[in-house]
Amino acid sequence: MNFAHLHLLLNHFPIIGTIVGLGLFLISLMGQKNDDLRRAGLITFAAMALVAILAFFSGVGADGAIRKSPGVSEDLIVRHQGAAMLALLFMEITGAFSLVALWKSQKRLHPSPWNWGLSAVLLFSFITVGLMARVGTTGGDIRHPEIGTGQEQADVSGISKIVHVFEPSPDKFAELMTASKWWWAFMMDLHFVGLALLIGTVGFLNLRVLGFAKQVPVAPLHEFVPWAMVGFGLNLVTGVLAFTGMAAYYTYDWAFWLKMLVIMLLGLNVAAFYLTGAFESVADLGPGENAPPLAKFIAGTSMVLWFLVITLGRYIQSFSDTISVHK
Amino acid sequence: MAPPLFLQTIEDTGLSTWLRESESPFAFYFILLFHTFGLALLVGANLVVDLRLLGIARGIPLAPLKRLFRIMWIGFATNATTGVFLVIAYPTKTLTNWDFYLKMAIIALAVWMMQRLKNSVFNESGLSEEGMMARGAALAKWSLFLWFAAITAGRLLAYTYKYLTYPS
Repeated sequence: MNFAHLHLLLNHFPIIGTIVGLGLFLISLMGQKNDDLRRAGLITFAAMALVAILAFFSGVGADGAIRKSPGVSEDLIVRHQGAAMLALLFMEITGAFSLVALWKSQKRLHPSPWNWGLSAVLLFSFITVGLMARVGTTGGDIRHPEIGTGQEQADVSGISKIVHVFEPSPDKFAELMTASKWWWAFMMDLHFVGLALLIGTVGFLNLRVLGFAKQVPVAPLHEFVPWAMVGFGLNLVTGVLAFTGMAAYYTYDWAFWLKMLVIMLLGLNVAAFYLTGAFESVADLGPGENAPPLAKFIAGTSMVLWFLVITLGRYIQSFSDTISVHK
Repeated sequence: MAPPLFLQTIEDTGLSTWLRESESPFAFYFILLFHTFGLALLVGANLVVDLRLLGIARGIPLAPLKRLFRIMWIGFATNATTGVFLVIAYPTKTLTNWDFYLKMAIIALAVWMMQRLKNSVFNESGLSEEGMMARGAALAKWSLFLWFAAITAGRLLAYTYKYLTYPS
């Protein structure tokens, strides 16, 4: 297993996943409105937004693995990277709006007739599907001569010419991120602010479910979840920007990849909380009432995993250069 | 002008040298890790109380939030302790940096604000929820600002120092 493997393993998910998500979403809007199908579509988008980050991160190592091989064009790799950056941006926006729409569609919130989140998801998921297709195509061009036109240079005609205008140059973007140490310091500052916001809000909810401060009813505490998402969003943005600034530094670092793995596990944990009935079992808990074991288990897991994320994040610096494949 | 000599004396002690130079994962980065845990507890708990006082998640009754102050103090104790070790590891780097004194001043203010909040909002029996919010709103805004400033000043320590170790 090397980064080229990992990249191939991960990169199909966001391309196909967004198509599946869009399919579910479109069907749910047609005819009789189907709430479950719509939720499935939105959850798919959110999950793909998370996986797409891993696919994006693994690309740098894949690049390192093949860049020096004969017949591999650096031009094509750079074009693919630029396409991936633009697609990732739209994927994350789609994921964020999906979470907004999911939040607003909660029955207990008395949903408004016009859920603007849904319109935003529709618009951005369409664009994302298109951009993801381009990422796949430009990626395939790098290593699949049997389907390509044998091109060595990036194709700049037709619609790809228009899209290409919006695609950042990976090298210039990295330079921009690292040009000023004050910009870097600012990003890291926000990363810690996001951490405090996330741990404060999610941590309190978890502790309550586990039995701390039982006088607090759970339903109003759950209103902190959007603030947790703001904290997570802040850290996702600053984290991805930091990665693009020093991609090789993070790529060859065990602590970084373990941190990403644990964040994915936390995604599963959130899914378990909302989809197994654990949330329903605690949503109406009043003062002094006890949460059932499943909800406590999920809350405890969340607590442990978040502190593990902090731990692994803290050890990134001391684990730099611990992965030595194809450096 | 050379930095005061006692900085070099601290730096030459076994503890300081070990913290700084040991390859063990339980040396410097371990202390730094617990400093971050402490930050999460201290600032995280403060944020939640401040946001509630400013009207977010209004359904949460205010009185039981008093229990969060215990978590704040656990976080503070963790960070005061680990902070001492971080200074021992890099005394010259830290104590010759103006930002370090700024950070200490901000934290002193923030902790003072935290205690004022506890005394005037949570320790006053007989206050209605509205009364607590009216009293706490201004303090909560100060608290949010000061903790943000404290994190910022702390982060800046990594970018503003003049010496890493005592200049030879």
